[in-house]
Amino acid sequence: MFLVKLLNTLLMIVVALFITGVINRTRAVMAGRKGIRFFQHVYNVRLLLRKGAVYSPTTTILFRIAPCVYLGAAMVAFLFIPIADLEPVLSFRGDIIFVAYLLALTRVAIVLAALDTGSSFEGMGAAREALYGALVEPALMMGLATLALFCGYSSFAEIFSTAQELNTNLTIVMLLLAYVFVIIMIIEAGRIPVDDPKTHLELTMIHEVMCLDYSGVDLAMIQITGWLKNAIFAMIAANAVSVAFCFHWQFTVPLAILGTGITIGIVESFRARNKLSRNTTYIITIVALSALVLLTGFLLNLNIEI
Amino acid sequence: MLVYTLLAVVAIIVALFVTPMRYKVWTATGIISAAAIAAITLAVKAFSDGTTELMSFSTIFFGRETLMVDPLSGLFLVIIAIASIATVIYSRGYVEGYLKRYSSAHISLHYTALVTLVIAMMAVVLSSGGFSFLFSWEMMTIASFILILFEAERQEVRRAALNYLVMMHIGFMLLVVGFVMVYNVTGSANFAAIVDYFKMQAPLPLFVILFLGFGMKAGIFPMHIWLPEAHPAAPSHVSAIMSGVMIKTGIYGIIRLMQAIDLNVQLLNTIGMIILFSGIITGLWGVIMAAMQNDIKRLLAYSSIENVGVILIGLGVAAIGHSAGSDLIGMCGMCGALLHVVNHSLFKTLLFFSAGNIYSKMHTTSLNKMGGLAKHMPMTAIIMLFAVVAICALPPLNGFVSELLIYIGMFNGVSDGREVLFSVAAIIALSLIGGIVVLAFTKLYGTIFLGSPRSTHVAESTEVDNYRIGAMAIPIAAILFIGLLPQFAIHPITMVAEAITGDDNTIAVEYFDPTLSTLSYISWALIAVIVALYLLKRRAQRNRTISEGPTWGCGFTAPNERMQYTGESFSEGLESITKPLMNDTVDGRSVEKSEIFPQPHNYRIQHKDKVDSWLAQWWVKMMHRINGYVMRLRTGRVNNYITFALVFFIVVLVLSLFNVL
Repeated sequence: MFLVKLLNTLLMIVVALFITGVINRTRAVMAGRKGIRFFQHVYNVRLLLRKGAVYSPTTTILFRIAPCVYLGAAMVAFLFIPIADLEPVLSFRGDIIFVAYLLALTRVAIVLAALDTGSSFEGMGAAREALYGALVEPALMMGLATLALFCGYSSFAEIFSTAQELNTNLTIVMLLLAYVFVIIMIIEAGRIPVDDPKTHLELTMIHEVMCLDYSGVDLAMIQITGWLKNAIFAMIAANAVSVAFCFHWQFTVPLAILGTGITIGIVESFRARNKLSRNTTYIITIVALSALVLLTGFLLNLNIEI
Repeated sequence: MLVYTLLAVVAIIVALFVTPMRYKVWTATGIISAAAIAAITLAVKAFSDGTTELMSFSTIFFGRETLMVDPLSGLFLVIIAIASIATVIYSRGYVEGYLKRYSSAHISLHYTALVTLVIAMMAVVLSSGGFSFLFSWEMMTIASFILILFEAERQEVRRAALNYLVMMHIGFMLLVVGFVMVYNVTGSANFAAIVDYFKMQAPLPLFVILFLGFGMKAGIFPMHIWLPEAHPAAPSHVSAIMSGVMIKTGIYGIIRLMQAIDLNVQLLNTIGMIILFSGIITGLWGVIMAAMQNDIKRLLAYSSIENVGVILIGLGVAAIGHSAGSDLIGMCGMCGALLHVVNHSLFKTLLFFSAGNIYSKMHTTSLNKMGGLAKHMPMTAIIMLFAVVAICALPPLNGFVSELLIYIGMFNGVSDGREVLFSVAAIIALSLIGGIVVLAFTKLYGTIFLGSPRSTHVAESTEVDNYRIGAMAIPIAAILFIGLLPQFAIHPITMVAEAITGDDNTIAVEYFDPTLSTLSYISWALIAVIVALYLLKRRAQRNRTISEGPTWGCGFTAPNERMQYTGESFSEGLESITKPLMNDTVDGRSVEKSEIFPQPHNYRIQHKDKVDSWLAQWWVKMMHRINGYVMRLRTGRVNNYITFALVFFIVVLVLSLFNVL
């Protein structure tokens, strides 16, 4: 039992570390470049962890605690996610809601920290993050409700450990659901087409602009949190597919890494970032899509011909 | 009953009026503490012995009535006791600033009203009969009306108070009509008689009438418009007790109604739908409006409306779940709603106290004049951060526990396949509310306490006195207790829910206990992880260069505090979606795009509720017009008036000739 939990956590860490590498490598291959080292992001964070820090005199103690809340909440949420039928470290009935609200806690921490600097640019990022976060919440909850509808439980561990017989209805809904979760991951992680982490104009940033004043250990913590959140969403998406096809963890882990990594890499290579005013429409469309998935799932579950 | 009440009121008034100015607050504290201790004793009795009859007396209209305490009134008594003690202690510091300006009688009247309000609220939840209920309900309204009028020399205060009084009496009329209907059919106007009424007559009209009457107090959409007017006008401790506790008496009434229809499953389903959808609309409307406001107290008032919405969603889930035959869903919804009543009374009092601290130092509640207050009022900043995290329903504080219970109910509805579509609608609404609440309260907190000061008043403000901080410690302690040890806090709540729904609560206890104990451990673990990370970071940074440098201005070297994001700009994105819901009033002119070198501009925007114009403004306009016509009759000539009198007599004569009168 203990070993299973340990294996689950270790594999989750592997997923968290690999996804960014896969995205970078995919983008490089698509652009015909050789690309940076696969683990360059890890080396960068290791470098940051060894550095000092510069704090603005405008900031209060909240600015220094916020990265710890940001990382701490994501770490706890990370421990709830199972890999297919493996058992996660923590689990209780209703933990799908707990995880969603822990992610909201990370958002509050980073938004308040951004406002603490008194910078107009960081205020901009904070306002956008708060709005997009608010709009994407229903999509996330409906995705989770669809899972609960099919698998009949309200904790991640129970949902993904239920063995399902292969049925076409479930497969369709779960594939759509995985798509929704990948989009939610893109929105939460601030990647193209919602946000571009590589952009050079602070005015158009969302996520990156909120951490402008962070340096050293704090910045490292924020980046690590980013990996953890990616891993959480990638794994939920991969689990949804695994439930549909009765995969075990051996398949789910590469699916989470390669599936989401390559998808996001390809999307980032071929799509431009949305105009900022289009983002709200984009996110509301995703909410509508997840409502549609839920409704489809509901009708299919009733065995009504549609 | 009436005589005793009047005697008690007179005694209180005399005691408060004879005390010297500076000590009036302590007299009031004494009386309220005594009442609170009595209330808590009664509550403990109700929880240990079940329903107990306290006294019986005859009333003028509705026959014999009793004062009774059962677990539901016990729960509300505890809420009232805690909030009122905190409020009266807090009021010492707040009222102190006004002692020089106002006469002794003014201050005495204020405290008399405060004491009366507390006692009236306790009487409301104790009365089992229609007359005593309506009597204490009206006493509550009048007392709160006087409390709002504290700064009566300001015109907007008088207008808000009058608005409040009119709205409350429309609600009161509905309640009177409802109770008279019950009395006509059953010959008694007790809450117990409503059960008989629901069996004998078509239940829906009575339910709707009483629901609207209670909803007026609770601030259910579209009857919420008095809240955002009354709260900015009232002193902060009054807003705290009104918003934290008084509007919950409306919820109390609705729960009593639900208790009365419990036996009829089909009806329960219909009523559950009504409650659920009014909750969804109230919650969404409240939270969207809250996110738009640029005034601390208006924002908090709208957030109260949103929380009432959340409570109603919980009650709706309970009713629908119960009617669908699932005790578990019923218990989840009911316990979540009741716990949210408790939670909201705690963090909303705290938020209004914080707003009062800020107002007494800054002399304004406008968000856009603040900024960077955390450096000058550190204790207020820390306390309000707790309240903000709690109201955003984030773990590990109490707001999350109640929303978790409601969510569990809804997710059980989805996974059991019972009433899936309603559950899904509620899930969507509650998650959207949760998301926008985060936006509204990060805006509130960030604009007030963080960043650089937007006006010179900030530098002059200092931390408030220790009594106020002490008063704020009471709700904080309760918030931490419910948030970190929910497995103990839930026990009285399940008892109340069992008393209301009549369900067997063992299922719920079996379900809640493991969930909430695990949640408690994980919440402690979360705090431990955060503290550990902070200590590790401190340790890692110990031997490194930690320097100070100005906030990065993205290459611009002369940023100033006027360039910061304001409250208005923070919610601009949401505004672009929700514009159709609001009436904006704009003073001044914004900077045109064509102005290359902009001149100084004065620009002030207020986002007003459209419901206000739909419901309130048109009939005010109509009344003005009708009055205009009537005024034409006032010519000032005596012969005209004699003609009118003559015409009147002729009309009366003719009508009586034809036996019309």
